Amino acid sequence: MKSSRIEELKRQRQTEIQPKKSQLPYLFFPVLAFFALYYYFFNTDKTYSIIWIVGILIGITMQRSRFCFVASFRDPIMIGNTSLFRAVIIGLIIATVGFGIFQYKAVGNIPNYSIDDIPGQIFPVGLNTIIGALLFGIGMVIAGGCASGTLIRIGEGHIMQVVVLLGFVIGTTLGAGHFGFWEKLFIFSSKTIYMPQYMGFLPAVTVQLAVLGILYLLAGWYDKKNNIMKL
Amino acid sequence: MDFKDRLLKKPWPYWMGGIILGFLNIFLLFGTGAAWKITTSFLYLGIGFLNKLGINTGSWYYFKTYGTGLGEGETYFNNGLMIMAIAMILGSLISVLLASEFRFKKIKDRKQLIFALLGGIIMGYGTRLSFGCNIGAYFSAIPSLSLHGWVFGIFMFVGAWIGSKILFRYML
Amino acid sequence: MAKHELDCMFEACPIPLLKALKKLNTMEIGEILIMRTDHNCSIVNVVEWAKKQGHYIDYIELGEGQWEIYIEKAK
Repeated sequence: MKSSRIEELKRQRQTEIQPKKSQLPYLFFPVLAFFALYYYFFNTDKTYSIIWIVGILIGITMQRSRFCFVASFRDPIMIGNTSLFRAVIIGLIIATVGFGIFQYKAVGNIPNYSIDDIPGQIFPVGLNTIIGALLFGIGMVIAGGCASGTLIRIGEGHIMQVVVLLGFVIGTTLGAGHFGFWEKLFIFSSKTIYMPQYMGFLPAVTVQLAVLGILYLLAGWYDKKNNIMKL
Repeated sequence: MDFKDRLLKKPWPYWMGGIILGFLNIFLLFGTGAAWKITTSFLYLGIGFLNKLGINTGSWYYFKTYGTGLGEGETYFNNGLMIMAIAMILGSLISVLLASEFRFKKIKDRKQLIFALLGGIIMGYGTRLSFGCNIGAYFSAIPSLSLHGWVFGIFMFVGAWIGSKILFRYML
Repeated sequence: MAKHELDCMFEACPIPLLKALKKLNTMEIGEILIMRTDHNCSIVNVVEWAKKQGHYIDYIELGEGQWEIYIEKAK
């Protein structure tokens, strides 16, 4: 939306400031590092070269789209805005389809497959998940970023995120050290629940896609509802 | 605004980021057999450091039971997850330089520093209990059709709500 | 008509957005808020929020990684 007074302020400011210095020359070393390491990985272990390329693309995408998981949860609460939340859902929907196909190809025709054979992130669920998630949620808002966001911000030059990373190193190490204690307390009773085992591959994927779709629509409705100022 | 500017300088819309990340995760899974995950690389930094100090972390219950997750020929400082983390940082750097928006952003004050450190420690600790972070236990876990991803997501939301209350009280 | 200034340099997420919300709450219609920030999320989330509320908003880049956002309260 345009306002003449804002236009005036902008115009005036433009005359006062110096033109921005282009940082393109600095690209030389990062891009060189990219190609050099890609070449190195390609010749040692092709898996590493794939990780390298995907990681670079993730970094570019997340930085350029200002993707932030913290904001995807925080904005709906604070300002009634669900655009990021819905963007995460889209990512989940797409990945669900792709992952489902890959998992089916891996174990779908093996009658008694073991959970360990299934590719993907599959872990026990229980009180440990709840407490871990609560801690993570609290920590990420306090620190101003999650695991992925912290790495992205470091790339942007934010010194504070290096401190967050240090915290992560300390926290994960402590957590691993204390793990035996928590395991005996409640983790031992957590069960791994892999949904296709309870309903088959196609139903599991379909149900999940349906739930994600409904969440997406609800989030869109919630966003529209909050068009009037609400604090 | 010409196309080059749109691509290279202006922020991309959120939904585009979501689509690309979804496909990248699939590509990673298809290409390497493992989904996107992050925080274990932070653990490796800590464990690698402790090992350099002479502490035998291999005797810890955690590693005795679950192993280290390192592949053949990998070390705590030289492994696939470390490559992912460095790649993400480098990718972000390249993106921000393309738009000439790189800036060394100093820490504002001691309160900010404490919150950053504390937040990181709490997050790190939580990831060990739930077997992952916002990526490993959520963004990659839900598509993997594991229930723990949904539970993590729901309670991460609750935790974010609690964290917001704390932030309001102490930061604003 | 009054101009209000808000310096959000070096602030972490989500402080710039929250400070802007608080300030706008205290302002009269027609007043302008000038906000300086070095947080690149702000040019997306503050802009998106302000547009949703019906305010006039625009911004310019002051330098590498620094922006000045202008919001005129319209409602």
